[in-house]
Amino acid sequence: MTTINTQPLDRPAIEGDNYLTHSRGFLSWILTLDHKRIGVMYLVSVLACFLLGGLFALAVRTQLLVPDGLIMDQDQYNQAFTLHGGIMVFLVIIPGIPAALGNFVLPIMLGAKDVAFPRLNLFSYWLWIVGAIFLVVSIFAGLDTGWTFYTPYSIDQNSAMGGVIPAVTGAFLLGFASIFTGMNFIVTIHRLRPDGMTWFRMPLFLWSLYATAVIQVLATPVLGITLALLAVERAFGIGIFNPALGGDPVLFQHFFWFYSHPAVYIMILPAMGVVSELIAVHSHRHIFGYHFIAWSSIAIAIFSFLVWGHHMFTSGQSPLMNVIFSFITFSVAIPSAVKVFNWLATMYKGSISWNTAMLYGMGFIFLFLIGGLTGLYLGTLATDVYLHDTYFVVAHFHYTMMGSALIGFIGGLHHWWPKITGKMFNENAGRIAFFLFLIGYNMTFFTQFMLGSHGMPRRYATYPADAGFQNYNIISTIGSYLMAISFFMMAGYFIASIFGGKRAAANPWGGRSLEWQCSSPPPHDNFSEQPAVGDCYDFSVLRWDEATQGYVWREDVEHPGHHTEEAAHA
Amino acid sequence: MSMLGLLATMKLGEATSGGGFWMPESASTVAPEVDSVFYFINNINYFFFALCMVILIWFAFRYHAKPSEHATFAADAPTHNTPLELTWTVVPLLLVGVIFWLGMDGYLELNESPEDAYEVQVTGQKWSWTFQHPEFGVTEAAELTVPLNKPVRLIMTSSDVLHSLFIPAFRVKNDVVPGRYTSLWFEANKPGQYRLYCAEYCGKDHSKMLAVVNVLPEDEFQTRLGKLAREYEDIDDRDLPAYGLTRLYNRCASCHSLDGSSGTGPSFKGLWDRTRKGTTVFTNGQDLKDLAGPGGEFEVPENYLRDSILNPQRHIVQNYTGSMPTFKGQLKERQIDALVLMIKNLDRLVDEQGVPIENPDLEGADISTGAGQ
Repeated sequence: MTTINTQPLDRPAIEGDNYLTHSRGFLSWILTLDHKRIGVMYLVSVLACFLLGGLFALAVRTQLLVPDGLIMDQDQYNQAFTLHGGIMVFLVIIPGIPAALGNFVLPIMLGAKDVAFPRLNLFSYWLWIVGAIFLVVSIFAGLDTGWTFYTPYSIDQNSAMGGVIPAVTGAFLLGFASIFTGMNFIVTIHRLRPDGMTWFRMPLFLWSLYATAVIQVLATPVLGITLALLAVERAFGIGIFNPALGGDPVLFQHFFWFYSHPAVYIMILPAMGVVSELIAVHSHRHIFGYHFIAWSSIAIAIFSFLVWGHHMFTSGQSPLMNVIFSFITFSVAIPSAVKVFNWLATMYKGSISWNTAMLYGMGFIFLFLIGGLTGLYLGTLATDVYLHDTYFVVAHFHYTMMGSALIGFIGGLHHWWPKITGKMFNENAGRIAFFLFLIGYNMTFFTQFMLGSHGMPRRYATYPADAGFQNYNIISTIGSYLMAISFFMMAGYFIASIFGGKRAAANPWGGRSLEWQCSSPPPHDNFSEQPAVGDCYDFSVLRWDEATQGYVWREDVEHPGHHTEEAAHA
Repeated sequence: MSMLGLLATMKLGEATSGGGFWMPESASTVAPEVDSVFYFINNINYFFFALCMVILIWFAFRYHAKPSEHATFAADAPTHNTPLELTWTVVPLLLVGVIFWLGMDGYLELNESPEDAYEVQVTGQKWSWTFQHPEFGVTEAAELTVPLNKPVRLIMTSSDVLHSLFIPAFRVKNDVVPGRYTSLWFEANKPGQYRLYCAEYCGKDHSKMLAVVNVLPEDEFQTRLGKLAREYEDIDDRDLPAYGLTRLYNRCASCHSLDGSSGTGPSFKGLWDRTRKGTTVFTNGQDLKDLAGPGGEFEVPENYLRDSILNPQRHIVQNYTGSMPTFKGQLKERQIDALVLMIKNLDRLVDEQGVPIENPDLEGADISTGAGQ
């Protein structure tokens, strides 16, 4: 195993002994307490769900090629978009970065051997699997409420199909898996930081995971209660949401968005953290404005709780509430803008490697700019009343949820792939797939802005033939096919790398956070001794080493040990 | 259709439905204000997007490490610059403040309807709209007729789930909620016909819950509504069945077919036959015959049809769910007559495939609604 022999603190791992080979057999995986294996199991499960959700997306796009719908009837279409949304939100984007990448990377980045509660971690994975099974089972029972489960449609036995209760049970369990992961991360970051890892030496990815975990722990219980109420209302008719029984259907929307708006930051914050790592590491340049980025994550987490009403500007809530929610909504724009400017400034005077991971980092900035800026029309009252519930909203949230959150996940996957598998993937294939994705993505979703601004409502299985919607729909669908091809390419070169890829060095990209100081893949215990912590964005101490095909510590710079730590940070 | 065929039918010139690249044709007094806010944000966005992209691409090329493995480290690159960072925090803050203010201003105008507005009562139900004009005692379904250059206020409610009334050309939208009234107003300033959509997902035929707004100059509007008000009285008994098909059936069409295929509800084809013979079976195992006959609830079989329109939840036909809303209060007696007669005489009105026959022969048709039996 290649490790950096100039590093006094990092002893070479025993050849062949890493977390993948440490123990063998099926049981050693499904009962593992190792955060890395749990992360890998999450990763495989999330990617499987991504394939499923993606197939539903392709079905939806194919349907809309012609005004009368090409392949499905109305009921089938309604189920397809519901399951696409439900799977992508609850099973892909929310767990994608925190549960899969975060589980793998967080303890190593922090310099810890594992998360604070390894058993809880394993439990939350299996709870997640049970929740996922419930959600997928609802496919067969029929689920056509949209992922938002709006009342009174969802509680009306005569309207919504039978899958509502299994689906909300699934989402309820997934919520608990999410809460447990969040709790685990909060405690780990508070209690397991080694000597020298002060709050403001933490990599920005950890700040973003911390902010995310706070939202997960505080907001998700509200979703759990809401979905439990929904199930009880549907099964027994207690009269909380059903207007026929004196309930208030709009109350559900308040409860639902009280979780689900913060949830969009559960999705985007970790991706922003990943991008902070990608841009800094692959630009080989100290991150610009560390404190502003770290605090902006916390600011987003706090503001995210105060803006849910902007989903309801046309719901009939009072104009005063609309004005207040619009006002607070704009406050979220600021920390997001700050991050973008800081990332750009990080590239200034850098030494930018056009690695696939960096391309995704830059792609994130491009797509997030569009997603964020188009949010301005939707936070603005006069224009939102017009654009609400049209394809403009669909385009906007795909730019943020898919173009940003999911791209952060995919960028992070490329960034940490050598660390996770110990193998290098084919960079050229990665670059080609990236550009194919970028073209397909913008064809698919940019056209939807025009569809929406011309008045096409969302969740339409068919559309009037003479309304001028078809051309945009055709471009959008072709784009979605290009994207599908790029994802299959990605799967191809990732799988190929496992079997035939070059061995990865400990530090192939030149990162300085702690995960790049242990071997690839990491040993079972992550670190044989407590690692020395320095400024994780000071890359000037590294140099490229041709022999190991990775970055190593410069011989002319003293390596910070336990005792020389202060000197290293002077 | 093949992909090539689809590509061949694309004509980019048709990509917009009138109007510009971003906003469609507008036809109300508030629309220019909404559009101006939209374009104001557009300009800010174009500027910031271009600025960031130029910087991104410029830096990506200017500081490109070649080959990518041999990166060097610039020790002199700044790690932070507080005045600069405060600048790019405060400037966007001021800009979004302006955007918020413009949006609020436009919204409050959208929200406050003039006091002299002409009022229309709107009911949304799966999956059709009902527009009632209290001033004229007129109910419209697929079409909403409104006067030109006069504020119109819609007072809306739903008889089942959430809907949302959306008229793109007027730039207005509001949810339609069961158990409460919501409202919106507009003043159309261009005569013509405009699309009205349901924008809040409401189940199976959500995408077919469409209607047309017909904007007429004041005098034509008065004439048209006056004519609609007398329509039921003016019509000859003999024309009632055909009238039911042409003027009323569109409310039933999304669920009840004419060709025998089953939809959300049973087909109208053969319905009268099943009713008269009492062969319809309900979900509780009863069949219609049990309720017919002397002393039965439906001793007069026409009453079953009438009851199904007014109290659709009472008897639900086997293999169907009771998803039909009630039409109580929305149909006049003459209209109920017309529907019952249409169902009774359907064989004469449509052919085997359910296609309406032109100039149907109703000689000798049964035009009694059972009331006299």
